[in-house]
Amino acid sequence: MILKRAKLFDGKTLHPEPMDLEIREGRITALAPDLPVKDRDRVIRLSGKIVAPGFIDLHGHFRDPGQTWREDLISGSRAAAAGGYTLAVAMPNTNPPLDSPALIRYVKQRGANPEGARILPAGCVSKGRAGQKMAELGGMAQEGAVLFTDDGSPVARANLLRQALLYSLDLGVRIMEHPEETSLTSGAQVHEGRCSAVSGMTGFPEAAEVIGVSRGIALARETGCPIHLTHLSTAGALKEVRRAKADGLAVTCDVTPHHLTLSEEDVLSSGLSGVFKVNPPLRSLADVEALWEGLWDGTVDAIATDHAPYHQDEKDLPFQEAAFGIASYECAAALVLDRWEADSRPGPLERILAAFTSGPARVLPASLGPLGLIEEGLPADLTVLDLDRIVEVNPSSWQSKASLSPVAGRNLRGGPILTMVNGRVVFSALEGAEPDA
Amino acid sequence: MVWTHRNLLDVDSLSREEMELLLDQAGHMDQLLDRPIRKVPALRGRLMVNIFFEPSTRTRVSFELAQKFLGADVVNWSASTSSTTKGETLRDTAWTLEAMGADAVVIRHGMSGAPWYLKNKLHRASVFNAGDGAHAHPTQALLDVYTLHKNIGPLDGKKVVIIGDVLHSRVVRSNARAFRTMGAQVVLSGPRTLMPKEVAALEVEFEPDPGKAVSGADAVYLLRIQKERQEAGLFPSEDEYHRRFGVGPEMLAKVGKKAFIMHPGPMNRGVEIASVLADGPESLILQQVRSGVAVRMALLFLCLGGEVSE
Repeated sequence: MILKRAKLFDGKTLHPEPMDLEIREGRITALAPDLPVKDRDRVIRLSGKIVAPGFIDLHGHFRDPGQTWREDLISGSRAAAAGGYTLAVAMPNTNPPLDSPALIRYVKQRGANPEGARILPAGCVSKGRAGQKMAELGGMAQEGAVLFTDDGSPVARANLLRQALLYSLDLGVRIMEHPEETSLTSGAQVHEGRCSAVSGMTGFPEAAEVIGVSRGIALARETGCPIHLTHLSTAGALKEVRRAKADGLAVTCDVTPHHLTLSEEDVLSSGLSGVFKVNPPLRSLADVEALWEGLWDGTVDAIATDHAPYHQDEKDLPFQEAAFGIASYECAAALVLDRWEADSRPGPLERILAAFTSGPARVLPASLGPLGLIEEGLPADLTVLDLDRIVEVNPSSWQSKASLSPVAGRNLRGGPILTMVNGRVVFSALEGAEPDA
Repeated sequence: MVWTHRNLLDVDSLSREEMELLLDQAGHMDQLLDRPIRKVPALRGRLMVNIFFEPSTRTRVSFELAQKFLGADVVNWSASTSSTTKGETLRDTAWTLEAMGADAVVIRHGMSGAPWYLKNKLHRASVFNAGDGAHAHPTQALLDVYTLHKNIGPLDGKKVVIIGDVLHSRVVRSNARAFRTMGAQVVLSGPRTLMPKEVAALEVEFEPDPGKAVSGADAVYLLRIQKERQEAGLFPSEDEYHRRFGVGPEMLAKVGKKAFIMHPGPMNRGVEIASVLADGPESLILQQVRSGVAVRMALLFLCLGGEVSE
């Protein structure tokens, strides 16, 4: 197969001159400005559209096993592919939680869906995700766990987090921490600030996230272990990470598309609609600004979706009864690109693309091989983007089982039009490039 | 001025002109309440359903009286005796009410935003918010504005000081907006543990010292202090609350002029308010209760397009 006249983002740089990519047996075999086409080659003409390394999501909820009315590994894998992702990490807060080698093997096998994105499992830090005893991190790493996290909650006790950081260091698998000081967030529903003041609902204070982040950084500093902090949502949290990075610590972090593009103002103007309910909550406009600032200055390593699908009956409820979570695979990249365009492109596209590709790749175990890059010889995991295409968000047509979205009905400019995993087209909205059957 | 609203979710949907029209109409209803026979057939044959997911006596009875005085058919759907306790969703409840032919639903719910949710699910019936979470209580605000206006005339430039548990109060959120819409200055006071982090979001002033706050006030409005707030550690004791933030003769003296005392009820005598003031000549508390009926009559009458047939 030949991809003709692509604008190439190789994981680091966006090349100004159009390039061709040759793909044979699932790998990128040649990369040059004008490659010859052989008779039987399938040719996809891209006319200047962007080809990027396949998008990597560090944080998705696939609800499998145990909550498959919300999503499963197959529907989630298709949804991820339709959103431009070629690889996604499944969070372990399933039922039962992914806390043993056998469960890791289950997700790894079922997540190897040839018709969608590759799903790799994250394992729990604690047994039963209960925050008491360390789970079998070694066995889970051996079966293919790519992160360890008690996501949905922070690791309950600082001592356990400390031991897990030390124990996992030689496994090459990073701890991903959901930073939240839960004694400050009991009963919380929305951002503490304008939204809590006006709505009368209990707020999640910024300090709850900052304390969680500081705890993680302090333990990373003391143990010399890397740590990844997920779904950061406040200016204060990013400030802590920025300082830790300046000190040379192996601290990485991600932010979500919804925290980059929505705020507490949207919660208020929706009449307190439950579809906007998420933890961490949609924050102030100043926080949204700070997340973009962190993206531009390199404090933010990755954009991760925190795709959290629910059944309509769990979300279509008064705000305080609705479940926390936003499903976003099929609009995540589009949301970010649309906002970047609407704000008159306030920073370099390379930074955004890196946060979907090479940035998250660096958080994953080196044993997975090179990820988030386009180079000759690497597997052909690719995402094609069209920055001008305008698509309406229509959850009823999603591959995901989720059917509600806070941005339903919005027209978003820019997004993925083709996803390729190991040289196989798993999603395409590009004419003349139908998915491989 | 034509009344275009069919629902009332919060007072921020009302302009000053609309609020004045409503208060004017409430004045007529108020007169009606003095007649030997207080019933008019303005809403005869219309079905009103009052659905209260939280215990409430005065608001529920006030709405019910207003509906009955206007001749409507009234059903009280109390959440404790309905299928809500069996786990029916608000969505199904909404559709059930509509299938029964409700023309209007009056809802009190412990969760912020529930009336908005209900309105989105209903196709035909009007929705009236009788209090949601700590979010809004628009009819309370309107009856308070009406009551104060009746006693001191136009509210332009008047000072209303609201003292107490702002954090957990739906009353203050609607009242601050309504009093401001009518031109009054609103100042809040109370312990910082009972204030939202961004009081400024309510677009009012905050003065932590209640003695300073009340200086020059035309009305001092006390919010109810609930016992569980003290148990949650938000202030040390009811006694200390009363000494620091309760309003008694000493605090009233700091106003420096005649001020009215208001309270949405039910009161905790000896906590947020001293009995001598609750029962004193400055108290508008019982007038507030009576105004509640008149204001709710006016609201239902305007929103449901009733006609006065006399």
